[in-house]
Order: sequence, then C-alpha cells, then structure tokens
Amino acid sequence: MIFIKSIYNEVIKIALKPRSYLGIAAITVLVGVILFALKSDGMSIISFVTSSFEQTLSFEGNVLNGNLVAFIILQMLIVQIPLLIALVTGDLVSGEAAMGTIRLLLTQPISRTQLLLSKFMAGGIYTLIVIVWLGFMSVIMGKMLFGTGDLMVLNSDGLVILQEADVNWRYLGGFLVAFLALFTVSSLSICLSCFTDNSIGPIVTTMSIILLFTIIGTLDVHVFDSVRPFLLTTHMASWRSFFEDPLPIQDIKNSILILLIHNILLISISIYVFNKKDITA
Amino acid sequence: MLRLFILLCVSNMVLGQDANKTVASVISQMNRVKNYTVDARIKSDIPLIKILPVKAKIEFKQPDEIKMKTQGIAILPKKGFTDLAIMLKNKSSYTAIFTGYEVVQKIKTESITLLPSNDAGEIVLAKIWVNTGEALILKSQITTRTNGTVVADYLYGKQKEFGLPDELTFSVDVKKFKIPKGVVVDINRTKTAEEPKNQGKMGTIHILFSNYSINSL
Repeated sequence: MIFIKSIYNEVIKIALKPRSYLGIAAITVLVGVILFALKSDGMSIISFVTSSFEQTLSFEGNVLNGNLVAFIILQMLIVQIPLLIALVTGDLVSGEAAMGTIRLLLTQPISRTQLLLSKFMAGGIYTLIVIVWLGFMSVIMGKMLFGTGDLMVLNSDGLVILQEADVNWRYLGGFLVAFLALFTVSSLSICLSCFTDNSIGPIVTTMSIILLFTIIGTLDVHVFDSVRPFLLTTHMASWRSFFEDPLPIQDIKNSILILLIHNILLISISIYVFNKKDITA
Repeated sequence: MLRLFILLCVSNMVLGQDANKTVASVISQMNRVKNYTVDARIKSDIPLIKILPVKAKIEFKQPDEIKMKTQGIAILPKKGFTDLAIMLKNKSSYTAIFTGYEVVQKIKTESITLLPSNDAGEIVLAKIWVNTGEALILKSQITTRTNGTVVADYLYGKQKEFGLPDELTFSVDVKKFKIPKGVVVDINRTKTAEEPKNQGKMGTIHILFSNYSINSL
C-alpha cells in the first residue's frame, strides 16, 4: 500500500513540475506544424517519394490519409521524443538529492528499493501519457483531418500498401513497442540520476548517449556491426516493424527482449547504486 | 522513324489490308457504349510494391469521362487504361498501318500499328491486335516518351458485343525504384536492405470486371 502511495506521490511531483508539460506542448506544436504542412502540400511530398513509380503507374484512391499522416509523424518525431522523456525523468532522483528532499523522503516507512521503484513507475506513467498524447495527436487528429484509408508505408527498399482494416492493430503494437523503448530511455535517465546530485547532468548525459548511439547506428561502418544490434537506439525504431509485410515476428521479439534486458539491467544498477548512496552528506 | 514508316506503308500495300476499315469497325463497336458502370477487382504484381487486391467501381461516359472509386489504394498503369480509346477515336491523330497477321489467344488477329501524326506527342507508337471477325481488340501496346511501354491483354466474356472485356492484364515497365533517403527515417535498421532481385523488370496489373451495367445512366 505504501508503495502505491509512493507511486502516487511521485506522479503528483511530476505533474507539479512545469517542465513536465514541455513534452506535451512540444508534441502538440510539432504535430500541429506537420499536420498543417501536410494539409497544405502533402501530395507533393508523396509525389516526391513515389516519383519514380509515377512515371509508369498511377496511385488511385486516398493516398494522403490519416494513417499515412500518422506514420509520417511517428517517423519524424520518434528521434525527438526520448529527449522530452529524459527532460522529466532525468532528475527524479538527482533533483531530490540536489534539493535535499531525498533525506526527508527516506524518513518514511519505505525501503530505498521501493522508493526507487516507485520513481521508475512514475517515469513509466509519464512516458505512457506522452505516448498516448502522441498517438492521439498523430492517429486520431490525422484521421480527423485527412480521413482514413489504406496505409502506404514508405520503405527504403520499396512500398508496402496495407489495407485500412489491417492498420489499427499495427499502430497499437507499434505504440506498445515504442512505449517499451521510451520506458528504457526513462530507466536510463533515472539510472544516471542515481549517480549524481545535480539535475542537468543525467538529462544531458541521457541525450548524449542517445545521440551517440544514433550516430553509431547510422554510420555504415563494419566496426560497429557487432555492437549495433544491442544498442538501445536500434530497437527504438522497432515499432516500424509492425508496418512490414510479412510481420517480422522474430525481429520484434528480439527487440522486445533486448529492451527488457536493458530495463532489468538499468533498474538493477539503479537499485544497487541508490541503496549504497550516501544521502547524509 | 521515316524508314519505319516507309517500310510499314510498303508492307501495307503489299499485303493489301485496309487497317482504317478495321480500326473503324473497332471504333463503331466502342461507340455502341454510351456509358457503363462496372465493378472491378484490381490485382497488382509490381516489383518492389506489396499490395493486396483492391475492389473498385468504374463509371464511364462518352466520349472519355471515366471515374474510379476505390475501396483503398489501387495501382493502375499511367498510360493504356483510357489513352488507347481516346487515341483511336481521334482519327486525325494517327495513321493506321496493317503490319500482318498474328495469333493472339489462339485467334488469328490483324496487327495494326498506329503512328501518331504529332512527332512531339507523348505517345510514340501504338499497336493493336484486332480480332476482325468480332471487331475486338485482343491486345494492345502503347509506347510513350516518358512512361515506357504498356502492353494490355483483353479477355472477353458476356459483354463482347459491346467490346468490353471481362479481364484486362497490363504489363508495365517499372523503372528502378528508389525512395530518397531523407524521406525515410529508417536509420536504425540493423541490416542493410537486400538488393531487390526484380528491379527494373515488368510488372503486371490484372483487372477483373463484373456486374456491367451498360447504357443505363
């Protein structure tokens, strides 16, 4: 019961920070701008992509629909969202250490492990809210503005056209995997937060790690071939696998497993460090 | 082009066939249809595109108004669906030349080449294979300046008296397809996409027509 109450307290603390609303506001503005741009000149973007086919073929039907718009938005924003998550979760421990409230907090009849786990849970709830808001803004708003229809998935090696009835469950699966990936970012930042007593350090370090991993993932250099499959950022894009045909179930399972291992490792390290942490200084 | 034209004219004279008469009979067949609606099932097999069959409703009104309502995204050839009929009806836009007999769908057909009058036009060359007995086009081929060659095979059923096919199969040139990398945020793929084996080959679009409603609008 005390654990549940602790989670509630942590969620309230997140809700009271103005910074927490930055992520929501940023998503609202970013998605709004993308929706406006696509509404104004979306067909030219699609035409730019399919131009080599359109010399020979014509695409009939509502190509620029809400499903495609949502997919484009997710592709564009999935790189930025982790930064918005880290901004809030990165100081869940270090922020309290910096302000000195961690000592007061630990006078409650709750173990350090339980307190830390409640912070992880609160970080997860915040991540879930961000993902749900992103889903609402991209899928629901996209469908409201552009209507619905078959989804034309733009891959680097061709086009996959998924039927309208076959899309919603893919979005659900994609968002669940995206949540797991972002929860891993949250875990990483909370873990880093256990090591320091200042707020900015873990946030900047989390962002740096994500940038570094993204660059390693992008660089087509064989030296990184063995490392790339284990990087967190590699599997942050695995939501996209849900839009392939046939569904690469093994790849998705692999991504989920690696993300879960990341989470277990990061939470374990955090618990160890937090239990050893000197809070009396 | 001039040599080809002379060669075709000579062969036309030698064989003594009147291509214009055959084309006229085909046009006359086409003109019997003032309008029609039909259900279509479009199945596309295009290299590098994965798409399931799509249902559509097609409405046609003379002379060349065609509307298509699809239950999703459908892929059609850019040229060949209506262009041939439009070209045939505009008699001044081409010269029809008989180029021999060929067997298409086990039927002896007249092969007629349509040479566009306008050298700068989009259509470079068109060819039709006509079953003269029933004035039906069994096969057509349109070569355009920018869209490559589209070959269409026509299969007739109940509506052959109106010159409307039950099945239509297009074979189209698909040029090497590449999406600009900046558009596809696919940066975190752990393995490089395999080089597609069927790049630059032919694609087919098969359209199955059913429930024709002719001259009822």
